[in-house]
Amino acid sequence: MQLQIRNLSKTYANGVAALKDVSLTIHPGMFGLLGPNGAGKSTLMRTIATLQEPDAGSICLVDPTNTGHAIDVVRQKDKVRETLGYLPQEFGVYPNVTADRLLDHFAILKGITDRRARKEVVDALLQQTNLYDVRKNKLGGYSGGMRQRFGVAVALLGNPRLMIVDEPTAGLDPAERVRFLNLLSELGENSVVILSTHIVEDVSELCTRMAIINGGRILLEAGPLEAVAELEGRIWRRVIDKGALPQVEREHAVISTRLLAGRTLVHVHADTSPGPTFEVVQPDLKDVYFSTMAGHSLRRCEHPELAAAQ
Amino acid sequence: MTAFREIVGFEVAHYARQRATWIYGAVFMGVAFLAMTSFVSGARGSLFNAPLAIAGSTIVVSMLGLLVTAALAGDVATRDANARIEPLLHTAPISKTTYLGARFLGAFAVNALLLVLVPVALVAAGLAQPLDPEFIGPFRPAAYLGAYALFALPNAFVTTALLFSLATLNRTAVASYVGALVLFLGAMLNEGVVAEAMGRWEEASLLDPFGIVLLRSLVQSWTPAEKDTLLIAFEGTLLLNRALWMAIGVAALALTLVRFRFGHRSPRPYRRGSRLEGVSLKPSVSPASAPHVRRTFSTATRVRQTLDIAGRSFRSIAMSRGAVVLAIPALFMMVAAHNLMVHMGTPLTPTTAYIVSLFVNSGDIFLAIPAPFLIVVFAGELVWRERDAGLSDIADATPVPDWVPFAGKLLGLSLILVLLQALLMTAGILTQAAMGYYDFEVGLYLRVLFGLQLSNYLLFAVLALAVHVLVNQKYVAHIFVLLAYAFTIFARDLGVEHNLLVYGADPGWAYSDMRGFGPFLWPVVSFRLYWAAWAGLLAVAATLFWVRGRQRGFRPRVQLAQRRFTGAVAGAGATALIGVVSLGGFIFYNTNVLNAYTTTSDRMGQRAEYERRYARYRTVPQPQLTAANLQVEIHPERRRLEIRGTLTLVNKTALPIAAVHVVTASDAEVRSLRLDREAAEVRADDGLGHRIFQLATALPPAESLTLIFDLQVEPHGFTNSALDASVAADATYVSHRRWLPVIGYQSSRELQSVEERRTHGLPPRPATPALDDEQARHEMEGAERITVEAVVGTDEGQVAVAPGTLRRTWTANGRRYFHYATDAPIRNDYAFFSAAYAVHEAEWRPSTRAARSGQADVAIEILHHPNHGANLDRMVRGALASLDYYTTHFGPYPHREIRFIEHPGDGNSLHAAPINISYEEGFALFNPTADERKIDLPFAIVAHEVAHQWWGNQVSPAFVEGGALVSESVAWYSAMAVVEQAYGPDHLRRLLNVLRDAYLSPRVRAGVPLLRASDRFTAYRKGPFAMYALREYVGEQPVNTALRRLLEAHGSGTPPLPTSLDLYRELQAVTPNSLQSLLADLFERNTFWELSTQSATAEQDEAGDWQVALDVHARKVVVDSDGVETELPMDDLVEIGIYAAAHGSDNGDPLHLRMHRVSSGAQRITVTVPREPARAGIDPRHLLIDVDLDDNVAGVVRGPAKASRQ
Repeated sequence: MQLQIRNLSKTYANGVAALKDVSLTIHPGMFGLLGPNGAGKSTLMRTIATLQEPDAGSICLVDPTNTGHAIDVVRQKDKVRETLGYLPQEFGVYPNVTADRLLDHFAILKGITDRRARKEVVDALLQQTNLYDVRKNKLGGYSGGMRQRFGVAVALLGNPRLMIVDEPTAGLDPAERVRFLNLLSELGENSVVILSTHIVEDVSELCTRMAIINGGRILLEAGPLEAVAELEGRIWRRVIDKGALPQVEREHAVISTRLLAGRTLVHVHADTSPGPTFEVVQPDLKDVYFSTMAGHSLRRCEHPELAAAQ
Repeated sequence: MTAFREIVGFEVAHYARQRATWIYGAVFMGVAFLAMTSFVSGARGSLFNAPLAIAGSTIVVSMLGLLVTAALAGDVATRDANARIEPLLHTAPISKTTYLGARFLGAFAVNALLLVLVPVALVAAGLAQPLDPEFIGPFRPAAYLGAYALFALPNAFVTTALLFSLATLNRTAVASYVGALVLFLGAMLNEGVVAEAMGRWEEASLLDPFGIVLLRSLVQSWTPAEKDTLLIAFEGTLLLNRALWMAIGVAALALTLVRFRFGHRSPRPYRRGSRLEGVSLKPSVSPASAPHVRRTFSTATRVRQTLDIAGRSFRSIAMSRGAVVLAIPALFMMVAAHNLMVHMGTPLTPTTAYIVSLFVNSGDIFLAIPAPFLIVVFAGELVWRERDAGLSDIADATPVPDWVPFAGKLLGLSLILVLLQALLMTAGILTQAAMGYYDFEVGLYLRVLFGLQLSNYLLFAVLALAVHVLVNQKYVAHIFVLLAYAFTIFARDLGVEHNLLVYGADPGWAYSDMRGFGPFLWPVVSFRLYWAAWAGLLAVAATLFWVRGRQRGFRPRVQLAQRRFTGAVAGAGATALIGVVSLGGFIFYNTNVLNAYTTTSDRMGQRAEYERRYARYRTVPQPQLTAANLQVEIHPERRRLEIRGTLTLVNKTALPIAAVHVVTASDAEVRSLRLDREAAEVRADDGLGHRIFQLATALPPAESLTLIFDLQVEPHGFTNSALDASVAADATYVSHRRWLPVIGYQSSRELQSVEERRTHGLPPRPATPALDDEQARHEMEGAERITVEAVVGTDEGQVAVAPGTLRRTWTANGRRYFHYATDAPIRNDYAFFSAAYAVHEAEWRPSTRAARSGQADVAIEILHHPNHGANLDRMVRGALASLDYYTTHFGPYPHREIRFIEHPGDGNSLHAAPINISYEEGFALFNPTADERKIDLPFAIVAHEVAHQWWGNQVSPAFVEGGALVSESVAWYSAMAVVEQAYGPDHLRRLLNVLRDAYLSPRVRAGVPLLRASDRFTAYRKGPFAMYALREYVGEQPVNTALRRLLEAHGSGTPPLPTSLDLYRELQAVTPNSLQSLLADLFERNTFWELSTQSATAEQDEAGDWQVALDVHARKVVVDSDGVETELPMDDLVEIGIYAAAHGSDNGDPLHLRMHRVSSGAQRITVTVPREPARAGIDPRHLLIDVDLDDNVAGVVRGPAKASRQ
């Protein structure tokens, strides 16, 4: 099962070009989509989740062992929805309904008609999302994290083979976040799981492949470890005063700044040492992100198998 | 399928949990109950729970249930978007059909289930009514099931389907409300225009989504027996209508299905050109900082904030879909003005007074409904705006005091209402300009639209906002606001009459050109201020309970309110409270202390009590009035009237009279009242105004006595009811009946309706005495011949009028006096007028023949408002022509002058008292030059009123059945003759066509013969047409001779008074034997002819003439008062007409117009005519009463006659 996205473009009626010729191939497992707000992540997520139509391009769900059997996501929405789990960035619930009743409602809508099987699934999911004890409470009284977990339960109904998760950890406390990521990681075996986020740690902890998107374009597609390895020896740091920042920015390729004990810590991208005041630093995925955003690695690192096939 | 079932079940369960749903159910039941007990009386025969009444109540509930349906449909369609659960739902594998279909079915199921409560309520209404068992029919489940299945359920389906589609496709609940409004107005428009005005009842029945038109046509065309028993059959028009509208509902749903899309809603561009280019976000690496500003929290800031919120609120309403409602009254005015500003088809001059009374008093739904709609819908939207957008947490945390958002939203809503009124005013002015009238009187527009009407709307805006704040649930609050509105409209029916208790109520007002606002303004302003004080209290309550933050429960809100009750808020509340108490006290002092407060049931009770105490004196012989000698002082500014004088009474009976009963009006202050001889006042009932004087010596026959009296009428403050503006600063019009003492038991004070009499335990009485009631022929009340001499004093700038010739006028003490006296006796019907009249004079001279037989000159005077002079020449011409004709053909006019006097009122009725014919201001507005039908209606009406000087004032019929035939019908018959003589037979024919329009609506054919009939339709239409038909058959001279003889016999007014039988006898005497049966058909029997021309063919013969063959069908039936038809064999003379080529809508030049003998059934009539015929028919002039007018005449087809179908 692969998700093949080819030349996807979308421009909104108010002139915003959200996606510009995006192409990706996503294999089963955890795929991270990283990018700032307004990059086009949610548009892409919604398009794959059958909620939006692109202006151009195609998305196909392909079973490589059975080449005749491909589902066109854009044109065969109903078939996709039969095996889709979607956790949106923003959603609400009916406040006057209890969690188990609404989960049961969604289970029926998703096609789990057998009453006993449905009860098992609903109970299991409520357990997994740690909502079992509060399942008889009305959803209007749930906290943000609990509502998020409910959304996860809905998304997981029916063992979806395509799972779209849009900015899932933004509202969760640290413990909830860890639990959520654990839950997701178990799914990655046979399904395509696309995790869209602007939290770099989510991708580095969980994903085997990732893409960085900005301004509607894919800037980088690689495995996280490979991308980090690419930057080995190219990231330098220096602590400066606030007032000195403009001059440093003029002279060097600053990719990120941070405050450290009242002074400013800058990371700079350079193939060789930019100066004695700089010291080299072990890069991490954040550096990959910032340097990509700053325009330093517009290379696309193809999947090793595909690259070999070319 | 399981998903479908699941969604439907989910929906129904959802609504079952809501409080609002149960309140909807209660409202349905309440409305059904009220409809059955109060509103649907016309639909009943005599049975309370007739199937027709049940259906009627069900339809009323359906229509009012539109609001509930709108709320349900709007909620269903937008709930998912509002709860933001759409992304979860739209990615589940359910099809559009399942999703939308199940949603719709859920809403419809809830609606249908709620409507089941309606038959329950109707049955309860039947049980709860304390009626005699004879008025309750058998319990027939079929009636209730039928009403549910034929009306409630299909109506619910159609409305739910249409509103659901609207709300879904527009993705906003407001679309649902607007849709409901459009449906409602459309149905009203259909009924008012297509059915009633255009007379196309068949088409209207199809176009009506609720079934009201159909019901109304059944109500009008079923006999009382049918109304009691017949179930409404599911066939014919009803079947077609239901099928058509169900199809429309299904089509709407199908359209929604096709156009609906799952998925994300992309942002719409709000303005062209505001395209956001893809912003390339270079990651900024320097920290952000905001510039420093100063904040102020002064009063000026608060005002600024309030204005800002007001502007935002105004814009949110003006840009929403519901804003289209603003245009409705204006558009309606522009489109429908021509139909509104007519009377009987003649256009009226669009004076500003007329237009503003249209706006305010006509109750026309298009003009009345937009403001309440805007207030009800948008009060809720405004109060909930932040919460609906999810912005409330942020907004509530801003440093804005609690009263600012309330004041701002109120101001915004008020600005919308101001805009509505401005649009209305513009529409009024444009309409006037379009009709060529340019005296706009903008000041009047402002005072009415922005002063009186807007202040009323603002009161309701405050109420609606306050309810939405206090009741913290949008849909429940909507219902409460609507119930509050309904209460103000129906309070009277529910028994609450005092205006201090009904929000926004006042005693009412009227504006007329003659009287201005008169005395109405002062009480209305007092009440407005009183209710404004209440509105202030509501505003304070709203501020105290303003929802801020997340507190939902009742107790926390009360605690919050208590904490807020400080400083300015408390001050405002105290001020408002003082206002309520002081103004309320002032009003109460006026309505209950200075005047007696009586409810409708009090007044009915008084009338019943009068009858109970004094009806025993009904037959006690009393002296009759022969002369009145009066001194009248009118003080217009103080609205004070003093009447002093003597009444001369003569014993015209054969026995001596022992006691004299004198009745005075209960609101007159009797300063003195005595007889000119010794008499003991054995009864002085001031409350009911009845006095009994026991004469020391009985009054012998033919002797007279004098009643001397002095009374005055002066209002004190104002009352709860609409003011009596008989005496007003600018115009006074007082009928003699109003305050002058009268003699004998007054049976006119008795309760009329059967139900009212039963409630008070009074025996039933017939509405009108029977035709053969000999005693009634001696009842002289209102028909006595008297002489009147009156001196009337009034303000210096005004002219006073009384009956008779003006002998003298003088000035004294700054007042002007007029001395009038009648030259010849007049019927006892007169009035006093006073206003700043302009006088238009003319002179009528009799023909030499009439002058030789004693007829004197007659002065014609028209006293009118200086601006209402458009029709003076027309009126004078009408009077001249009428005097010519009537003195020549009937008899002399016994007085030296005839006057037309305008009096205040925006109706257009006239009253022909002897000598003085009074007319309401509306009559002066007729504009016959703009009448496309080319008839002169005012001229005809003047001729009719002048005719009353003979028929009614000289020949005064007894008050029995059929009496109206002698006065009204003969008066219209006479007017027709005058019109023909002055304008020609073509003009008369056009006028008759207009008068015959009354036949077009479905009419019950059941009835009594003309000789016994007393209703309006018979008197004003059927009677005159019968007389006209007789004239055409028998001839003008014989009929006039009969009338002249009637005048000679009964013109003096000596008892016994004439009845329709006397007229009939004279007509019989002049009718030849061959037409006696026609005379009987027209007058003695309730006859209907059914005449039609099946085909007409013409063939030219060798001589060049044309042989015309008409295949006609004729039938004659007599219908009794229960609607039972009996066919009579026909052997009658009927006019056959053959016409040459037609011009316009006329039939054309008559080639042949003669009587033929026609028998029952089909027959062929052949006629030879010299020229080519175009149209031919039987009774083409509709002389014989036929309900179906269009089938009498057909076009002529050239060719041989078809084989005879005999």
